[in-house]
Amino acid sequence: MAKRVVAIIKLQVAAGKATPAPPVGPALGQHGVNIMAFVKEYNERTAAQAGLIIPVEISVFEDRSFTFITKTPPAAVLLKKAAGIESGSGVPNKTKVAKLAQSKIREIAETKMQDLNAATIEAAISMIEGTARSMGIEVIEG
Amino acid sequence: MKWLEISVSVRAEDIESVSNIYDDIGTGGVIIEDPAIIYDVLSLGNIETVAFETIPEQGSLPIIKGYLPMDEKLSSRLAEFQTALVGINSDYPSKINIAEIEDSSWSEKWREFYTPVKLGDRFLIQPSWLPIDEASEGLLIIEMDPGMAFGCGNHPTTAMCVEMLEKIVFGGEKVIDVGTGSGILSIVAALMGASSIIAVDSDSVAVKVARENVQANGLENIINVREGNLTSGIFTKFDIVVANIVADVINSLLPSVPHLLKDGGKFIASGIIAGRREEMARNIENSGLKIIKVINSGEWTGFLAEKP
Repeated sequence: MAKRVVAIIKLQVAAGKATPAPPVGPALGQHGVNIMAFVKEYNERTAAQAGLIIPVEISVFEDRSFTFITKTPPAAVLLKKAAGIESGSGVPNKTKVAKLAQSKIREIAETKMQDLNAATIEAAISMIEGTARSMGIEVIEG
Repeated sequence: MKWLEISVSVRAEDIESVSNIYDDIGTGGVIIEDPAIIYDVLSLGNIETVAFETIPEQGSLPIIKGYLPMDEKLSSRLAEFQTALVGINSDYPSKINIAEIEDSSWSEKWREFYTPVKLGDRFLIQPSWLPIDEASEGLLIIEMDPGMAFGCGNHPTTAMCVEMLEKIVFGGEKVIDVGTGSGILSIVAALMGASSIIAVDSDSVAVKVARENVQANGLENIINVREGNLTSGIFTKFDIVVANIVADVINSLLPSVPHLLKDGGKFIASGIIAGRREEMARNIENSGLKIIKVINSGEWTGFLAEKP
């Protein structure tokens, strides 16, 4: 019989730069997963995406072995990169920190489409716009 | 070391925005406990393949967790976090839970699941805190406590290195183990008869762990564990160079390998992920070594090469 999955852990950590420190350590440690084995494998698989935050879903089996899949970077990370900013606005409804063209939002929506719970590209665009607004990024024509 | 665990429950559509705030205050990543992931799997109805240890209440909100070191910047970072949360939903600051945790709360937990593991043809890796099983008769026992260093014996990259060491260590060899981690490969080589071994790691945690493991196995006269960057400062020649690290580090090590090896000396390179197999094979050949064996195990590849 196949090994049974006892937990699924979702994390977001910097590509190629995972360490045994939090959040990786506590997330995996509490399920008995070998932390260093995960760190080594995650960093190797994401090395090419260095500079981005990559979400990862880890399936933990009964014998504490694990497998994982990586996802596309979070929209907020792609938005910050596209807008050339380090962080979002603390008060997004008052202070805008950047402007981003509609075409860039579409590009990000297309990248994210496979991981978003969106039926159409328009729905995906509207989700990305929502994230942009919450960060103080103004979406402009273009 | 103490950390502050900051949890907040949020609506599903705010997971990304809130995770982003954690990123901005410098938590270095987040844990996302999203009940939807569990319920998606359960809805597939394949109960033979899942046995979740905890199942969140149906309809409960996702929880995001991040961690900050408890230092002088903590209060300003927390204030920044709360202000930014209000920007997403004015209710969220009231949903914050904080807890102090110690490193040890997670770094020791895996021990409960660590069991003796057979390695190669001849070895049993024995967790040093467990009684020795009688069924292990005839195997060479390695007492091991990997702590927070890599190499507890159950990773395919370690197994590949042991398989290759078993083919090339006959007794009397001089070995260097680059990126020794828990010291496991040096201990294996010593038990097979290698006469002197240098075990190097750039990580001080690994060096401490490796020293303890070498002592626990009574091999401190054979294995010299030292902290250092790859092979810098080492000018003697070896019969065997073993490196179970990762592709990028092995690429940096490769130019010095032929100078470290005696004629006919062997190089074991492991920790190579599948996508970089061809590149690594080319680089090894270009360094002047001849590949004599390749082992693949799942996503990982190990090479055995020889200096002509």
